[in-house]
Amino acid sequence: MSLRYMIPVSKFKKYLPKDYVELVDYGPFGKDYSDVGVKNMGTYKELVEEHPMCSGCWMAYYIKIIFASLPNPEDTVTIGTAGCGRLAISQAAVPFIYGNYGDQNAMASGITRAFRLRFPDRHKDVITIAGDGGMMDIGFSMTMHAWFRRERFTTIMLDNEVYGNTGGQESGMSMEGAILKMSPTGKKFGKMPAMQLAITAGCVYVVKMSPTNINKASKAIRRAIFAARTLGPTFIHAYTSCNIEYSIPTNDVFRDAKEMEKGRFAFEEYMTPEAKELFAQIESKNKREVS
Amino acid sequence: MYYVAKVNSEMCSTHKCNMCTLYCPEANTLMYDKEPKHGNSNGTSWVDEDRCKGCAICVYVCSDLLERNCIEMVMVTTEEA
Repeated sequence: MSLRYMIPVSKFKKYLPKDYVELVDYGPFGKDYSDVGVKNMGTYKELVEEHPMCSGCWMAYYIKIIFASLPNPEDTVTIGTAGCGRLAISQAAVPFIYGNYGDQNAMASGITRAFRLRFPDRHKDVITIAGDGGMMDIGFSMTMHAWFRRERFTTIMLDNEVYGNTGGQESGMSMEGAILKMSPTGKKFGKMPAMQLAITAGCVYVVKMSPTNINKASKAIRRAIFAARTLGPTFIHAYTSCNIEYSIPTNDVFRDAKEMEKGRFAFEEYMTPEAKELFAQIESKNKREVS
Repeated sequence: MYYVAKVNSEMCSTHKCNMCTLYCPEANTLMYDKEPKHGNSNGTSWVDEDRCKGCAICVYVCSDLLERNCIEMVMVTTEEA
């Protein structure tokens, strides 16, 4: 699939924003996915720009993978909400909409419907990217109802198991007993079963993972986007540690993600028979589309 | 004064590897130059020091996981300092 966006007319090139021209000359715009994508990260200018997220933040890393995995960045809109993630998501060369405190999935419902009316002949990918607080606490009802309504967009939860952006309050996704700065006696109830909730609510493709294998992470993101175009809601629950609130030394962040992969974030993938059929079609047509 | 990653390009170019660039959490920071370097057939990773936040995940990947020891963390200072 082409990442063709818009090629500047050479005479006007010097008047265009430098960042944009660089994305055409050195970035993914106008290039084939097999030449860019996650496997080639480091060899081209990525869609994400500099952002203020913390040193060694695994959430920043996963956001970088999301943008490098987009099958169609020129026709993609991301929606986020309050939280750390939006600090990086908003610094990418992909349109970003800021949803007010957890209403990202409600906004995405309206936007996908409007896109289908306005652009009936093409796929416009809508992806909501929010933290565990935005998705499972504050935005819980809007997330669940978007799934119940079978709204066709992708939901990605960046689960750092804490409200990292506001000083370390426990979230619904924190583990039972987790002692955090703002919950000094430990959390009194367990982690919400987000994956099971998504399956029950009607998501056609659901993945739980700790992003340590770059190809596996990219494949899940692309599958979720492809399935959301025609079949129904899709959900990715990714472990993206908060090294500040959980006091993980930055150089151990990757090691921690690998430990999580052996435990409660072991890779799980659910798909409906229709989604399975769709992936078989796409992957047999062009293996590069999904990996 | 900044704490940043520094790649030993001579050692790096002896390996056909760009693993560190795949695991750097910062975009457009730890890059890979495909041009062959130092008489070897491989290119080398390099760090955009202005963007590096000094997390040392690349050192974990290169030294702990791959045991190649091509990256170290260094303090960068201005000429006057």
